[in-house]
Amino acid sequence: MSAGEVLVVGGGSAAHRFAERLHHHGHSGGVTLLGAEPAAPYHRVLLTSVLDGTLPPAALELPALPDGVRMRAGTTAVRIDRARRLVHADDGSVHRYDTLVLATGARPVLPRIPGLPRPGTSDAVTALRTLADAERVLRASPDARRTVVLGGGLLGVEAAAALARAGHEVALVHRGPHPLDRHLDADAGKLLAGRLAGLGVDVHCGREAAAYCAGKLTLDDGAVLAADTLLLCTGAVPETALARRAGLAVGTGVLVDGRLSTDDPRIHAIGDCAEHPGAAAGHLEPAWEQAESLARQLTGAGPRGAGYRGTRCVTRLRVPGIDLVRLGGRPAGAAGPGGGSGSGAGAGAGAGSAEGSAEGSAEGSAEVVTVADPARGRYARLTLHGQRVTDAVLLGLPRAIAALTRLHEHGLPVPAGRLEFLLGIEPAPPGADELPGDAVVCRCNNVTKHAITEACRAGAADVEQVAAATRATTGCGGCTSTVRKLCGMARTGGSTS
Amino acid sequence: MTGKTRTLVVAGHGMAGHRLVEELRTLDTAGAWRVVVLAEEPHAAYDRVALSSYLDGRSAAELGLPAPGLASDPRVELRLATAAASIDRAARTVTTTAGDTVGYDALVLATGSKPFVPPVPGHELTGCFTYRTLTDLDAIREAAVPGRPGVVIGGGLLGLEAANALRLLGMEPHVVELAPRLMPVQVDAAGGGVLGRRVEDRGLRVHCGVATASVQAGPDGRARAVVLADGTELEAAVVVFSAGVRPRDELAGPAGLDRGERGGFLVDGLCRTADERIWAVGECAAVSGRCYGLAAPGYRMAESVARQLCGLGGDPFGEADMSTRLKLLGVEVASFGDAHAGTDGALELSRLDEARGTYAKLVLGSDCRTLLGGILVGDAAAYGELQPFVGRALPSAGHRLLAAAG
Ligand SMILES: Cc1cc2nc3c(=O)[nH]c(=O)nc-3n(C[C@H](O)[C@H](O)[C@H](O)COP(=O)(O)OP(=O)(O)OC[C@H]3O[C@@H](n4cnc5c(N)ncnc54)[C@H](O)[C@@H]3O)c2cc1C
Ligand SMILES: Cc1cc2nc3c(=O)[nH]c(=O)nc-3n(C[C@H](O)[C@H](O)[C@H](O)COP(=O)(O)OP(=O)(O)OC[C@H]3O[C@@H](n4cnc5c(N)ncnc54)[C@H](O)[C@@H]3O)c2cc1C
Repeated sequence: MSAGEVLVVGGGSAAHRFAERLHHHGHSGGVTLLGAEPAAPYHRVLLTSVLDGTLPPAALELPALPDGVRMRAGTTAVRIDRARRLVHADDGSVHRYDTLVLATGARPVLPRIPGLPRPGTSDAVTALRTLADAERVLRASPDARRTVVLGGGLLGVEAAAALARAGHEVALVHRGPHPLDRHLDADAGKLLAGRLAGLGVDVHCGREAAAYCAGKLTLDDGAVLAADTLLLCTGAVPETALARRAGLAVGTGVLVDGRLSTDDPRIHAIGDCAEHPGAAAGHLEPAWEQAESLARQLTGAGPRGAGYRGTRCVTRLRVPGIDLVRLGGRPAGAAGPGGGSGSGAGAGAGAGSAEGSAEGSAEGSAEVVTVADPARGRYARLTLHGQRVTDAVLLGLPRAIAALTRLHEHGLPVPAGRLEFLLGIEPAPPGADELPGDAVVCRCNNVTKHAITEACRAGAADVEQVAAATRATTGCGGCTSTVRKLCGMARTGGSTS
Repeated sequence: MTGKTRTLVVAGHGMAGHRLVEELRTLDTAGAWRVVVLAEEPHAAYDRVALSSYLDGRSAAELGLPAPGLASDPRVELRLATAAASIDRAARTVTTTAGDTVGYDALVLATGSKPFVPPVPGHELTGCFTYRTLTDLDAIREAAVPGRPGVVIGGGLLGLEAANALRLLGMEPHVVELAPRLMPVQVDAAGGGVLGRRVEDRGLRVHCGVATASVQAGPDGRARAVVLADGTELEAAVVVFSAGVRPRDELAGPAGLDRGERGGFLVDGLCRTADERIWAVGECAAVSGRCYGLAAPGYRMAESVARQLCGLGGDPFGEADMSTRLKLLGVEVASFGDAHAGTDGALELSRLDEARGTYAKLVLGSDCRTLLGGILVGDAAAYGELQPFVGRALPSAGHRLLAAAG
């Protein structure tokens, strides 16, 4: 089947990549993108770099679309007529399709706070999803330096750190017990909160916003925070309105199968708006892989045309100076990198995911390896099944993060020497296993190695005779194997090495 | 040594008192001391650490601590079932519960501990027991009803031993622990989780994070049930209290001897009370204010005092090692060194293996090399290879411990 005339609704990361890959794989028909945002496709994940001033907005623009791809920016699709295979847009235009691809992304979930103006109506209150949102913050910023970020998920934490770098006085308000509580347990959460405080962010956890009034946010404990700007990072949900109205099957997102088809075989969905059992929604990588997979299927290209099976999830916190990564974990519902009020499952709630997904099945028993090094701000918690990571959080371990991420993405086993691998520490040096003479072997009776070797030299030939001479092993018995080894060594005159 | 022999009175013939007497018998080659041992229990010293094996086929005689030649040693007089009732420091005499008075040149208190019984309503009912002596175990054996539930209050090391004892007696054991996990002193949350699952597999019912409200009596006036703070009622033909111990220092007050802040005879690093003729060793001694609830520190104290009595320098008692290794209901548990990473800059590394039901944690110093302590649950085979290395570079056994099996 040829894809014929392809219409893409959405002009974000997934749409852009899809159009590019479709062209690459030799699609011959027409391709049209309808994008609600006024700007050409841009790199959404770099929005926080605009906030902290590292990049001008124009630098985010993605490479130009291939020749022949028509892009209508500032055009919102409002209705799908499946019978006639037409899409109606808000500017009155109508677009015919043979193949329709929904790439409508996600939209922010906004909290209900008494007194809060409708976002978009004031520069002082905004979500953070689009370039327009970031520009709104920049516009207000010359005199609005006191900023409150609501929501301590990935997006909120990144935004708070970015604004602190840009010189804002930032307070981060989060309802959970610590930032990123969907990803981190209490120990790691405490570490992260400490790091954020070190960046100058005033962290308020376990608190909810109770009311907003003219640049002031009141919390549920009565505290009042000055908020020249209030940034709402309270989660995101798939944008499914168009699909729902068209009668397509929708769960949290638009439901798709391995062919990335909805229940209408002519209509596909990719990226944040799609719900596939093997992918965590709200991430760029699955969006890209889905774009590639669908382009191959529609053009009949290559061996990977077999269908989309899911993407191993890697979530990275983009805060300079804080190395934090979450690998795998359950596809977290539909919530994007917001998280404050998202619908996601709890962190560490369980490893693996639906059967057949890329996360690997959680069959069999788990192995859990942890490193807690609060003094140096390092933390790791890995859940493995069959030597492979099914869920992991690493903080402050840049080398391990790089290595483990690579293993995880390729589904490779983690080396058996977990310690050496995670901490980069050397294996025990030769001689480290040789007990010094003054080491106490039998704690119950305070018997040193020296006393035991002396007893052997004086004729004690086995554990019983050593016990009779020194009392070693007659307490809890925990040292019996060591004493036996020392007896054996004395007999053969050997050493441990 | 010439001159007339002096009299040493030892109050208590438990593990520490026994070690003191044996050590003195070895060191006192000149026969300077005559020893009178007052032993409250009807048995000579026995291996209390192995007490539970009494219900698993070992006899009282087999549990007795070795004392070669003691019975025929003319220097030592062991008075069983006779306790020290009071001390007259001015007259330097001890009065016994038999009414006799024994003069002393030196007195060593080795009275151990008594189980702490929380004062919940009903704690004194018939059918309530403690778990410390052979006599306690005889009473529990007598009261046990096979097939019926028994409740142990306290999920520490001794509580789990007591629960196993009930199981050996054919009962259905329950354990109630106030802390959120079993053995809170020895293991951390993850280790406690593994331990809990493993002992539950062995038929133990575990109730953690809940206080005991009362013990209810049945129509016959005996304990019938234990009621928990959350309202749960656990049927119980036998109730065993194992909620910690308190030093037996009741001789201190009337004799005008100082006690530690949390009880115990207050002694210095050489186990000396403020009275130069009186020492205290074992669990009853508050060494520089702190009591130790394990056998090994008591042994060290006893050895130190025996040396002092023989005019040899005693070993000042410093940090005691609280390492423990044991097997509970078939589950090995070990805890050694700084198991809870209390040291400044310490880091913790752990590995939980669900398939094998094991948990291992190592605590390293801030150099990432020095072994400070650890916790082993489910498989404590590495204990012997690791424990002696506390304070030294981690040996390869530590690396192996955290590596994948197979
Ligand atoms: C600040 C920020 C940082 C992020 N950082 C990361 C990160 O580090 N790693 C990561 O994996 N992910 C990150 N993400 C998430 C990532 O940006 C998304 O997963 C990715 O953009 C999904 O691409 P998409 O094309 O599906 O959706 P989007 O990029 O949201 O694009 C959807 C587009 O469709 C348009 N649209 C919606 N409805 C219609 C309609 N009816 N008609 C026409 N157009 C419509 C929208 O306006 C939007 O432009 C971040 C997101 C943000 C906001
Ligand atoms: C079931 C169980 C398991 C244990 N497991 C371990 C273990 O694995 N590892 C470990 O290190 N420790 C263990 N212990 C603890 C260990 O047994 C004690 O630390 C040790 O017995 C202390 O020795 P002690 O001599 O100080 O006290 P005890 O052994 O209690 O001896 C004191 C003796 O003094 C007697 N006494 C008291 N008052 C008087 C008086 N006024 N006059 C005369 N006599 C008196 C008492 O009746 C008793 O016989 C365990 C204890 C129990 C009960």
